[in-house]
Amino acid sequence: MLLALRDVGKAWHIARTGERVPALQAITLDVAPGEFLILLGPSGCGKSTLLQIMAGLEAPSSGAIEFPTATGGGKLTSMVFQEYALFPWRTVLANVAFGPEVRGVPRREREERARRLIDLVNLRGAETRYPHELSGGMRQRVALARALANDPQILLFDEPLAALDAQTRRVMQDELLRIWAETGKTFVYVTHSLQEAVLLGTRIVLMTAGPGRIKRVEEVTLPRPRHLTGRAEAALLDRLDALLGEEVQRAMAS
Amino acid sequence: MTASHWRQLASVAGLLLAWQILVQTGRINPLFLPAPLSVLGAMWEMTRSGELPWAVMVSLNRVLQGFVYGSLVGVVLGLLAGAVRWVEDLLDPWVAAVYPIPKSALFPLFMLWFGLGNPSKIVTIAVGVLFLVLVNTMAGVHAINPVLLKAARDLGASRAQIFVKVILPGALPSIFTGLRLGAGMALILVFITEIEATKAGLGFLLWEAFQLMDTRHVFVGVVTFGLLGVATTWLLKGLERVTCPWIQRSN
Repeated sequence: MLLALRDVGKAWHIARTGERVPALQAITLDVAPGEFLILLGPSGCGKSTLLQIMAGLEAPSSGAIEFPTATGGGKLTSMVFQEYALFPWRTVLANVAFGPEVRGVPRREREERARRLIDLVNLRGAETRYPHELSGGMRQRVALARALANDPQILLFDEPLAALDAQTRRVMQDELLRIWAETGKTFVYVTHSLQEAVLLGTRIVLMTAGPGRIKRVEEVTLPRPRHLTGRAEAALLDRLDALLGEEVQRAMAS
Repeated sequence: MTASHWRQLASVAGLLLAWQILVQTGRINPLFLPAPLSVLGAMWEMTRSGELPWAVMVSLNRVLQGFVYGSLVGVVLGLLAGAVRWVEDLLDPWVAAVYPIPKSALFPLFMLWFGLGNPSKIVTIAVGVLFLVLVNTMAGVHAINPVLLKAARDLGASRAQIFVKVILPGALPSIFTGLRLGAGMALILVFITEIEATKAGLGFLLWEAFQLMDTRHVFVGVVTFGLLGVATTWLLKGLERVTCPWIQRSN
Protein backbone atom coordinates (compact mmCIF):
# COMPACT_ATOMS: atom_id res chain seq x y z
CA MET A 1 0.00 0.00 0.00
CA LEU A 2 1.33 3.42 -0.97
CA LEU A 3 -1.10 5.77 0.64
CA ALA A 4 -3.86 5.26 3.15
CA LEU A 5 -6.73 7.54 4.06
CA ARG A 6 -8.14 6.77 7.49
CA ASP A 7 -11.60 8.17 8.20
CA VAL A 8 -10.73 11.44 6.47
CA GLY A 9 -13.18 14.31 6.69
CA LYS A 10 -13.05 17.87 5.42
CA ALA A 11 -15.29 20.79 6.26
CA TRP A 12 -15.12 24.29 4.87
CA HIS A 13 -15.53 27.15 7.22
CA ILE A 14 -17.67 29.92 5.73
CA ALA A 15 -16.39 33.11 7.36
CA ARG A 16 -19.40 35.20 6.39
CA THR A 17 -22.00 33.04 8.12
CA GLY A 18 -19.78 31.21 10.59
CA GLU A 19 -21.09 27.93 9.18
CA ARG A 20 -19.12 24.73 8.77
CA VAL A 21 -20.03 23.04 5.54
CA PRO A 22 -18.96 19.39 5.35
CA ALA A 23 -17.30 18.49 2.05
CA LEU A 24 -16.00 15.00 2.78
CA GLN A 25 -16.94 12.47 5.42
CA ALA A 26 -15.49 9.17 6.62
CA ILE A 27 -13.23 8.47 3.65
CA THR A 28 -11.22 5.33 4.26
CA LEU A 29 -9.27 4.21 1.24
CA ASP A 30 -5.98 2.48 0.43
CA VAL A 31 -4.08 3.25 -2.74
CA ALA A 32 -2.22 0.19 -3.98
CA PRO A 33 1.00 0.35 -6.01
CA GLY A 34 0.54 0.37 -9.75
CA GLU A 35 -3.22 0.75 -9.81
CA PHE A 36 -5.26 3.16 -11.93
CA LEU A 37 -7.69 4.36 -9.31
CA ILE A 38 -10.67 6.40 -10.43
CA LEU A 39 -12.49 8.79 -8.13
CA LEU A 40 -15.90 9.16 -9.75
CA GLY A 41 -18.73 11.34 -8.52
CA PRO A 42 -21.13 14.15 -9.33
CA SER A 43 -19.98 17.76 -9.34
CA GLY A 44 -19.48 19.14 -5.86
CA CYS A 45 -18.97 15.74 -4.24
CA GLY A 46 -15.56 16.74 -2.92
CA LYS A 47 -13.50 14.45 -5.15
CA SER A 48 -11.12 17.26 -6.11
CA THR A 49 -10.78 18.19 -2.44
CA LEU A 50 -9.90 14.59 -1.68
CA LEU A 51 -7.20 14.74 -4.34
CA GLN A 52 -5.79 17.95 -2.85
CA ILE A 53 -5.65 16.23 0.53
CA MET A 54 -3.70 13.35 -1.01
CA ALA A 55 -1.36 15.90 -2.58
CA GLY A 56 -0.82 17.58 0.78
CA LEU A 57 -2.18 20.86 -0.62
CA GLU A 58 -5.11 20.74 1.79
CA ALA A 59 -5.11 19.41 5.34
CA PRO A 60 -7.95 17.10 6.36
CA SER A 61 -10.25 18.44 9.09
CA SER A 62 -10.42 15.02 10.69
CA GLY A 63 -8.89 11.59 10.19
CA ALA A 64 -5.41 10.87 8.91
CA ILE A 65 -3.44 10.37 5.75
CA GLU A 66 -0.58 7.89 5.87
CA PHE A 67 2.27 7.09 3.53
CA PRO A 68 3.32 3.68 4.89
CA THR A 69 6.14 3.15 2.41
CA ALA A 70 7.48 6.71 2.46
CA THR A 71 11.25 6.64 2.62
CA GLY A 72 11.76 10.15 3.88
CA GLY A 73 12.71 13.16 1.77
CA GLY A 74 10.82 13.47 -1.49
CA LYS A 75 7.13 13.94 -1.89
CA LEU A 76 5.32 10.86 -3.10
CA THR A 77 2.74 12.61 -5.23
CA SER A 78 2.60 15.01 -8.16
CA MET A 79 -0.51 16.65 -9.46
CA VAL A 80 -1.83 17.21 -12.99
CA PHE A 81 -4.41 19.99 -13.01
CA GLN A 82 -7.45 20.34 -15.23
CA GLU A 83 -6.39 23.79 -16.37
CA TYR A 84 -2.81 22.55 -17.03
CA ALA A 85 -1.30 25.15 -14.67
CA LEU A 86 1.76 25.57 -16.88
CA PHE A 87 3.99 28.58 -16.22
CA PRO A 88 3.35 30.86 -19.24
CA TRP A 89 6.83 32.43 -18.98
CA ARG A 90 8.65 29.11 -19.16
CA THR A 91 9.33 27.07 -22.26
CA VAL A 92 8.20 23.47 -22.40
CA LEU A 93 11.64 22.33 -21.28
CA ALA A 94 11.78 24.78 -18.37
CA ASN A 95 8.26 23.88 -17.30
CA VAL A 96 9.09 20.19 -17.18
CA ALA A 97 12.37 20.89 -15.36
CA PHE A 98 10.69 23.07 -12.71
CA GLY A 99 10.33 20.36 -10.05
CA PRO A 100 13.95 19.16 -10.20
CA GLU A 101 15.09 22.81 -10.43
CA VAL A 102 13.46 23.82 -7.13
CA ARG A 103 14.78 20.64 -5.57
CA GLY A 104 18.34 21.61 -6.48
CA VAL A 105 19.06 19.12 -9.27
CA PRO A 106 21.96 20.48 -11.40
CA ARG A 107 20.97 22.02 -14.72
CA ARG A 108 22.49 19.41 -17.01
CA GLU A 109 20.90 16.56 -15.12
CA ARG A 110 17.45 18.11 -14.84
CA GLU A 111 17.37 19.11 -18.49
CA GLU A 112 18.38 15.64 -19.51
CA ARG A 113 15.58 14.24 -17.39
CA ALA A 114 13.14 16.76 -18.83
CA ARG A 115 14.11 15.83 -22.39
CA ARG A 116 13.56 12.16 -21.65
CA LEU A 117 10.08 12.88 -20.32
CA ILE A 118 9.25 15.18 -23.24
CA ASP A 119 10.10 12.20 -25.45
CA LEU A 120 7.90 9.96 -23.33
CA VAL A 121 4.87 12.21 -23.84
CA ASN A 122 5.64 12.53 -27.57
CA LEU A 123 6.50 16.22 -27.58
CA ARG A 124 10.01 16.03 -28.99
CA GLY A 125 10.75 19.21 -30.96
CA ALA A 126 8.52 21.40 -28.79
CA GLU A 127 11.13 21.98 -26.06
CA THR A 128 11.66 25.68 -26.78
CA ARG A 129 8.01 26.59 -27.29
CA TYR A 130 5.92 28.51 -24.82
CA PRO A 131 2.64 27.09 -23.45
CA HIS A 132 0.44 29.50 -25.41
CA GLU A 133 2.00 28.16 -28.60
CA LEU A 134 0.66 24.67 -27.87
CA SER A 135 -2.76 23.07 -28.30
CA GLY A 136 -4.75 21.93 -25.26
CA GLY A 137 -3.71 18.32 -25.72
CA MET A 138 -0.04 19.26 -26.00
CA ARG A 139 -0.29 21.43 -22.88
CA GLN A 140 -1.68 18.51 -20.92
CA ARG A 141 1.22 16.37 -22.15
CA VAL A 142 3.63 18.99 -20.83
CA ALA A 143 1.79 19.02 -17.49
CA LEU A 144 2.07 15.25 -17.34
CA ALA A 145 5.80 15.33 -18.12
CA ARG A 146 6.29 18.04 -15.50
CA ALA A 147 4.49 15.96 -12.88
CA LEU A 148 6.65 12.94 -13.76
CA ALA A 149 9.88 14.93 -13.49
CA ASN A 150 9.98 14.67 -9.69
CA ASP A 151 9.72 10.89 -10.09
CA PRO A 152 6.70 10.60 -7.77
CA GLN A 153 5.21 7.24 -6.90
CA ILE A 154 1.68 8.51 -7.32
CA LEU A 155 0.33 10.84 -9.99
CA LEU A 156 -2.82 12.70 -9.06
CA PHE A 157 -5.05 13.80 -11.93
CA ASP A 158 -7.79 16.38 -11.39
CA GLU A 159 -10.12 15.97 -14.39
CA PRO A 160 -7.15 16.45 -16.70
CA LEU A 161 -9.05 15.97 -19.96
CA ALA A 162 -12.20 17.91 -19.13
CA ALA A 163 -11.12 21.00 -21.06
CA LEU A 164 -10.25 19.11 -24.25
CA ASP A 165 -12.42 18.39 -27.28
CA ALA A 166 -13.80 14.87 -27.67
CA GLN A 167 -11.28 13.77 -30.32
CA THR A 168 -8.25 14.94 -28.37
CA ARG A 169 -9.69 13.41 -25.22
CA ARG A 170 -9.85 9.97 -26.87
CA VAL A 171 -6.23 10.23 -27.97
CA MET A 172 -5.11 11.45 -24.55
CA GLN A 173 -6.92 8.61 -22.80
CA ASP A 174 -4.87 6.11 -24.83
CA GLU A 175 -1.74 8.13 -24.12
CA LEU A 176 -2.40 8.08 -20.39
CA LEU A 177 -2.84 4.30 -20.49
CA ARG A 178 0.38 3.91 -22.44
CA ILE A 179 2.33 6.10 -20.03
CA TRP A 180 0.75 4.40 -17.02
CA ALA A 181 1.89 1.03 -18.41
CA GLU A 182 5.35 2.27 -19.44
CA THR A 183 6.18 4.01 -16.17
CA GLY A 184 4.49 1.58 -13.78
CA LYS A 185 3.37 4.57 -11.69
CA THR A 186 0.23 4.64 -9.61
CA PHE A 187 -2.47 6.89 -11.03
CA VAL A 188 -5.27 8.42 -8.98
CA TYR A 189 -7.69 10.02 -11.37
CA VAL A 190 -10.64 12.27 -10.62
CA THR A 191 -13.40 12.44 -13.21
CA HIS A 192 -17.13 12.85 -13.50
CA SER A 193 -17.18 10.92 -16.76
CA LEU A 194 -18.48 7.36 -16.51
CA GLN A 195 -17.01 6.49 -19.87
CA GLU A 196 -13.58 7.64 -18.82
CA ALA A 197 -13.83 5.66 -15.59
CA VAL A 198 -14.74 2.47 -17.45
CA LEU A 199 -12.09 2.93 -20.14
CA LEU A 200 -9.21 3.75 -17.80
CA GLY A 201 -9.63 2.41 -14.30
CA THR A 202 -8.46 -0.73 -12.57
CA ARG A 203 -10.63 0.30 -9.65
CA ILE A 204 -13.46 2.78 -9.47
CA VAL A 205 -14.40 4.59 -6.28
CA LEU A 206 -17.89 5.98 -6.66
CA MET A 207 -18.64 8.88 -4.37
CA THR A 208 -21.93 10.24 -3.06
CA ALA A 209 -23.18 13.75 -3.67
CA GLY A 210 -21.83 16.31 -1.19
CA PRO A 211 -20.79 15.79 1.51
CA GLY A 212 -18.76 13.15 -0.30
CA ARG A 213 -18.63 9.64 1.09
CA ILE A 214 -17.60 6.45 -0.61
CA LYS A 215 -20.72 4.85 -2.05
CA ARG A 216 -19.22 1.87 -3.83
CA VAL A 217 -15.83 0.52 -4.88
CA GLU A 218 -15.73 -1.47 -8.12
CA GLU A 219 -12.77 -3.58 -9.15
CA VAL A 220 -12.47 -3.48 -12.93
CA THR A 221 -10.79 -6.54 -14.38
CA LEU A 222 -11.94 -6.08 -17.97
CA PRO A 223 -9.15 -6.78 -20.49
CA ARG A 224 -7.62 -3.97 -22.50
CA PRO A 225 -8.09 -2.39 -24.93
CA ARG A 226 -11.57 -1.66 -23.71
CA HIS A 227 -14.41 -0.48 -25.89
CA LEU A 228 -17.47 1.30 -24.61
CA THR A 229 -19.58 -0.80 -26.99
CA GLY A 230 -18.29 -4.10 -25.59
CA ARG A 231 -20.83 -6.17 -23.69
CA ALA A 232 -19.00 -6.26 -20.35
CA GLU A 233 -18.10 -2.59 -20.59
CA ALA A 234 -21.70 -1.65 -21.37
CA ALA A 235 -22.95 -3.67 -18.39
CA LEU A 236 -20.52 -1.92 -16.05
CA LEU A 237 -21.44 1.41 -17.56
CA ASP A 238 -25.13 0.75 -16.94
CA ARG A 239 -24.53 -0.28 -13.35
CA LEU A 240 -22.41 2.78 -12.61
CA ASP A 241 -24.85 5.00 -14.46
CA ALA A 242 -27.70 3.89 -12.20
CA LEU A 243 -25.63 4.47 -9.08
CA LEU A 244 -24.31 7.84 -10.24
CA GLY A 245 -27.82 8.81 -11.36
CA GLU A 246 -29.10 8.42 -7.80
CA GLU A 247 -26.39 10.77 -6.58
CA VAL A 248 -27.00 13.36 -9.26
CA GLN A 249 -30.68 13.30 -8.29
CA ARG A 250 -29.75 13.78 -4.65
CA ALA A 251 -27.37 16.59 -5.53
CA MET A 252 -30.07 18.41 -7.47
CA ALA A 253 -32.69 17.83 -4.76
CA SER A 254 -30.56 19.22 -1.97
CA MET B 1 5.09 50.34 -47.23
CA THR B 2 1.38 49.72 -47.09
CA ALA B 3 -1.36 52.14 -48.10
CA SER B 4 -1.89 52.84 -44.42
CA HIS B 5 1.76 53.89 -44.05
CA TRP B 6 1.48 56.22 -47.04
CA ARG B 7 -1.58 57.90 -45.62
CA GLN B 8 0.14 58.41 -42.28
CA LEU B 9 3.18 59.93 -43.97
CA ALA B 10 0.99 62.14 -46.13
CA SER B 11 -0.88 63.38 -43.07
CA VAL B 12 2.30 64.46 -41.29
CA ALA B 13 4.08 65.87 -44.34
CA GLY B 14 0.97 67.68 -45.56
CA LEU B 15 0.31 69.40 -42.26
CA LEU B 16 3.95 70.44 -41.80
CA LEU B 17 4.06 71.77 -45.35
CA ALA B 18 0.84 73.77 -44.94
CA TRP B 19 2.10 75.14 -41.65
CA GLN B 20 5.44 76.18 -43.22
CA ILE B 21 3.67 77.88 -46.12
CA LEU B 22 1.13 79.66 -43.92
CA VAL B 23 3.91 81.16 -41.82
CA GLN B 24 6.15 82.06 -44.75
CA THR B 25 3.32 83.81 -46.60
CA GLY B 26 2.65 85.87 -43.49
CA ARG B 27 -0.77 84.45 -42.68
CA ILE B 28 0.40 83.24 -39.29
CA ASN B 29 2.48 85.34 -36.94
CA PRO B 30 5.67 83.38 -36.18
CA LEU B 31 5.57 84.86 -32.69
CA PHE B 32 2.65 82.50 -32.02
CA LEU B 33 3.57 79.68 -34.32
CA PRO B 34 7.10 79.58 -35.75
CA ALA B 35 7.54 77.64 -38.96
CA PRO B 36 8.72 74.03 -38.72
CA LEU B 37 11.96 74.71 -40.58
CA SER B 38 12.86 77.63 -38.33
CA VAL B 39 12.25 75.44 -35.25
CA LEU B 40 14.47 72.80 -36.80
CA GLY B 41 17.11 75.45 -37.47
CA ALA B 42 16.96 76.65 -33.87
CA MET B 43 17.32 73.06 -32.67
CA TRP B 44 20.38 72.61 -34.81
CA GLU B 45 22.00 75.86 -33.54
CA MET B 46 21.31 74.97 -29.92
CA THR B 47 22.67 71.49 -30.44
CA ARG B 48 25.89 72.86 -31.97
CA SER B 49 26.31 75.39 -29.23
CA GLY B 50 25.87 72.62 -26.66
CA GLU B 51 22.98 74.41 -24.99
CA LEU B 52 20.37 71.80 -25.88
CA PRO B 53 22.48 68.69 -25.13
CA TRP B 54 23.39 70.18 -21.77
CA ALA B 55 19.75 70.91 -20.90
CA VAL B 56 18.82 67.38 -21.92
CA MET B 57 21.63 65.90 -19.80
CA VAL B 58 20.58 67.87 -16.74
CA SER B 59 16.94 66.85 -17.10
CA LEU B 60 17.73 63.25 -17.96
CA ASN B 61 19.88 62.98 -14.86
CA ARG B 62 16.90 64.03 -12.72
CA VAL B 63 14.47 61.83 -14.62
CA LEU B 64 16.68 58.75 -14.48
CA GLN B 65 17.48 59.03 -10.81
CA GLY B 66 13.87 59.65 -9.88
CA PHE B 67 12.69 56.87 -12.17
CA VAL B 68 15.18 54.31 -10.90
CA TYR B 69 14.60 55.02 -7.20
CA GLY B 70 10.85 55.24 -7.59
CA SER B 71 10.48 52.10 -9.67
CA LEU B 72 12.82 50.05 -7.47
CA VAL B 73 10.84 50.89 -4.35
CA GLY B 74 7.56 50.46 -6.24
CA VAL B 75 8.43 47.01 -7.59
CA VAL B 76 9.78 45.69 -4.28
CA LEU B 77 6.87 47.03 -2.21
CA GLY B 78 4.37 45.94 -4.84
CA LEU B 79 5.67 42.37 -4.94
CA LEU B 80 5.78 42.15 -1.16
CA ALA B 81 2.31 43.64 -0.76
CA GLY B 82 0.94 41.33 -3.43
CA ALA B 83 2.48 38.26 -1.84
CA VAL B 84 2.26 39.00 1.89
CA ARG B 85 -1.09 39.96 3.33
CA TRP B 86 0.09 42.07 6.27
CA VAL B 87 2.40 44.17 4.09
CA GLU B 88 -0.58 44.96 1.91
CA ASP B 89 -2.65 45.90 4.97
CA LEU B 90 0.06 48.31 6.12
CA LEU B 91 0.43 49.90 2.67
CA ASP B 92 -3.16 50.03 1.48
CA PRO B 93 -4.37 53.12 3.37
CA TRP B 94 -1.28 55.08 2.30
CA VAL B 95 -1.69 54.13 -1.32
CA ALA B 96 -5.35 55.07 -1.17
CA ALA B 97 -4.49 58.42 0.40
CA VAL B 98 -1.46 59.46 -1.66
CA TYR B 99 -2.20 57.88 -5.04
CA PRO B 100 -4.91 60.41 -6.02
CA ILE B 101 -2.79 63.45 -5.08
CA PRO B 102 -1.19 65.02 -8.16
CA LYS B 103 2.48 64.52 -7.32
CA SER B 104 3.31 68.00 -8.62
CA ALA B 105 1.32 69.31 -5.65
CA LEU B 106 3.89 67.72 -3.36
CA PHE B 107 6.80 69.56 -4.99
CA PRO B 108 6.53 72.67 -2.79
CA LEU B 109 6.70 70.46 0.30
CA PHE B 110 9.70 68.61 -1.05
CA MET B 111 11.45 71.95 -1.79
CA LEU B 112 10.79 72.91 1.79
CA TRP B 113 12.26 69.65 3.07
CA PHE B 114 15.03 68.93 0.59
CA GLY B 115 15.99 72.38 -0.65
CA LEU B 116 15.83 74.00 -4.06
CA GLY B 117 18.43 71.80 -5.73
CA ASN B 118 18.26 68.43 -7.43
CA PRO B 119 17.08 66.33 -4.45
CA SER B 120 13.60 67.85 -4.22
CA LYS B 121 13.09 67.40 -7.97
CA ILE B 122 14.32 63.81 -7.90
CA VAL B 123 12.11 62.98 -4.92
CA THR B 124 9.04 64.44 -6.63
CA ILE B 125 9.72 62.35 -9.73
CA ALA B 126 10.49 59.26 -7.64
CA VAL B 127 7.22 59.55 -5.70
CA GLY B 128 5.23 60.00 -8.91
CA VAL B 129 6.85 56.95 -10.47
CA LEU B 130 6.66 54.91 -7.26
CA PHE B 131 2.89 54.93 -6.92
CA LEU B 132 2.22 54.05 -10.55
CA VAL B 133 4.69 51.17 -10.43
CA LEU B 134 3.48 50.03 -7.01
CA VAL B 135 -0.19 49.93 -7.96
CA ASN B 136 0.50 48.11 -11.22
CA THR B 137 2.87 45.62 -9.60
CA MET B 138 0.28 44.77 -6.93
CA ALA B 139 -2.38 44.33 -9.59
CA GLY B 140 0.00 42.07 -11.50
CA VAL B 141 0.62 39.85 -8.48
CA HIS B 142 -3.10 39.62 -7.74
CA ALA B 143 -3.78 38.65 -11.35
CA ILE B 144 -1.55 35.57 -11.15
CA ASN B 145 -3.67 32.46 -11.50
CA PRO B 146 -3.74 30.81 -8.03
CA VAL B 147 -3.45 27.38 -9.62
CA LEU B 148 0.11 28.32 -10.67
CA LEU B 149 1.03 28.91 -7.03
CA LYS B 150 -0.56 25.60 -6.15
CA ALA B 151 1.33 23.80 -8.90
CA ALA B 152 4.63 25.34 -7.78
CA ARG B 153 3.95 24.26 -4.21
CA ASP B 154 3.02 20.78 -5.38
CA LEU B 155 6.27 20.51 -7.32
CA GLY B 156 8.23 21.30 -4.17
CA ALA B 157 8.96 25.03 -4.41
CA SER B 158 9.64 26.87 -1.15
CA ARG B 159 8.01 30.21 -0.36
CA ALA B 160 11.14 32.06 -1.46
CA GLN B 161 11.29 30.06 -4.69
CA ILE B 162 7.62 30.74 -5.38
CA PHE B 163 8.33 34.45 -4.89
CA VAL B 164 11.26 34.51 -7.33
CA LYS B 165 10.13 31.90 -9.85
CA VAL B 166 6.36 32.43 -9.97
CA ILE B 167 5.28 35.75 -8.48
CA LEU B 168 8.01 37.88 -10.03
CA PRO B 169 7.75 36.59 -13.61
CA GLY B 170 3.96 36.41 -13.29
CA ALA B 171 3.77 40.08 -12.38
CA LEU B 172 6.40 41.22 -14.91
CA PRO B 173 4.01 42.25 -17.70
CA SER B 174 2.08 44.48 -15.27
CA ILE B 175 5.34 45.82 -13.86
CA PHE B 176 6.23 46.98 -17.36
CA THR B 177 2.85 48.66 -17.72
CA GLY B 178 3.67 50.53 -14.51
CA LEU B 179 7.14 51.43 -15.76
CA ARG B 180 5.79 52.84 -19.02
CA LEU B 181 3.21 54.95 -17.20
CA GLY B 182 5.92 55.94 -14.70
CA ALA B 183 8.26 57.10 -17.46
CA GLY B 184 5.56 59.38 -18.83
CA MET B 185 4.90 60.71 -15.34
CA ALA B 186 8.63 61.33 -14.84
CA LEU B 187 8.76 63.56 -17.93
CA ILE B 188 5.70 65.52 -16.80
CA LEU B 189 7.17 66.02 -13.35
CA VAL B 190 10.65 67.01 -14.53
CA PHE B 191 9.10 69.80 -16.57
CA ILE B 192 7.01 71.04 -13.67
CA THR B 193 9.89 70.92 -11.20
CA GLU B 194 12.16 72.80 -13.61
CA ILE B 195 9.84 75.77 -13.94
CA GLU B 196 10.79 77.10 -10.52
CA ALA B 197 14.03 77.56 -8.69
CA THR B 198 16.45 76.20 -11.21
CA LYS B 199 18.93 77.45 -13.75
CA ALA B 200 19.29 74.39 -15.95
CA GLY B 201 17.34 71.68 -17.67
CA LEU B 202 14.97 71.27 -20.56
CA GLY B 203 11.99 72.52 -18.58
CA PHE B 204 13.96 75.61 -17.55
CA LEU B 205 15.02 76.22 -21.15
CA LEU B 206 11.42 75.99 -22.34
CA TRP B 207 9.99 78.17 -19.57
CA GLU B 208 12.65 80.82 -19.88
CA ALA B 209 12.07 81.00 -23.63
CA PHE B 210 8.37 81.45 -22.96
CA GLN B 211 9.02 84.31 -20.56
CA LEU B 212 11.16 85.99 -23.23
CA MET B 213 8.41 85.35 -25.80
CA ASP B 214 10.95 83.31 -27.78
CA THR B 215 8.39 80.92 -29.26
CA ARG B 216 10.97 79.16 -31.46
CA HIS B 217 12.85 78.00 -28.40
CA VAL B 218 9.62 77.04 -26.67
CA PHE B 219 8.98 74.76 -29.61
CA VAL B 220 12.49 73.37 -29.41
CA GLY B 221 11.75 72.38 -25.81
CA VAL B 222 8.37 70.87 -26.70
CA VAL B 223 9.78 68.85 -29.58
CA THR B 224 12.73 67.64 -27.50
CA PHE B 225 10.38 66.52 -24.71
CA GLY B 226 8.41 64.65 -27.34
CA LEU B 227 11.53 62.94 -28.62
CA LEU B 228 12.50 61.96 -25.07
CA GLY B 229 9.04 60.48 -24.56
CA VAL B 230 9.31 58.45 -27.74
CA ALA B 231 12.81 57.28 -26.80
CA THR B 232 11.82 56.10 -23.31
CA THR B 233 8.76 54.25 -24.59
CA TRP B 234 10.90 52.62 -27.23
CA LEU B 235 13.60 51.64 -24.72
CA LEU B 236 11.10 50.14 -22.29
CA LYS B 237 9.41 48.22 -25.09
CA GLY B 238 12.78 46.79 -26.06
CA LEU B 239 13.54 45.85 -22.47
CA GLU B 240 10.15 44.18 -22.16
CA ARG B 241 10.69 42.23 -25.35
CA VAL B 242 13.98 40.90 -24.01
CA THR B 243 12.73 40.04 -20.51
CA CYS B 244 9.21 38.83 -21.40
CA PRO B 245 9.61 36.88 -24.64
CA TRP B 246 6.46 34.89 -23.91
CA ILE B 247 4.35 38.06 -24.17
CA GLN B 248 5.79 39.26 -27.45
CA ARG B 249 5.14 35.98 -29.15
CA SER B 250 1.49 36.03 -28.25
CA ASN B 251 0.99 39.42 -29.85
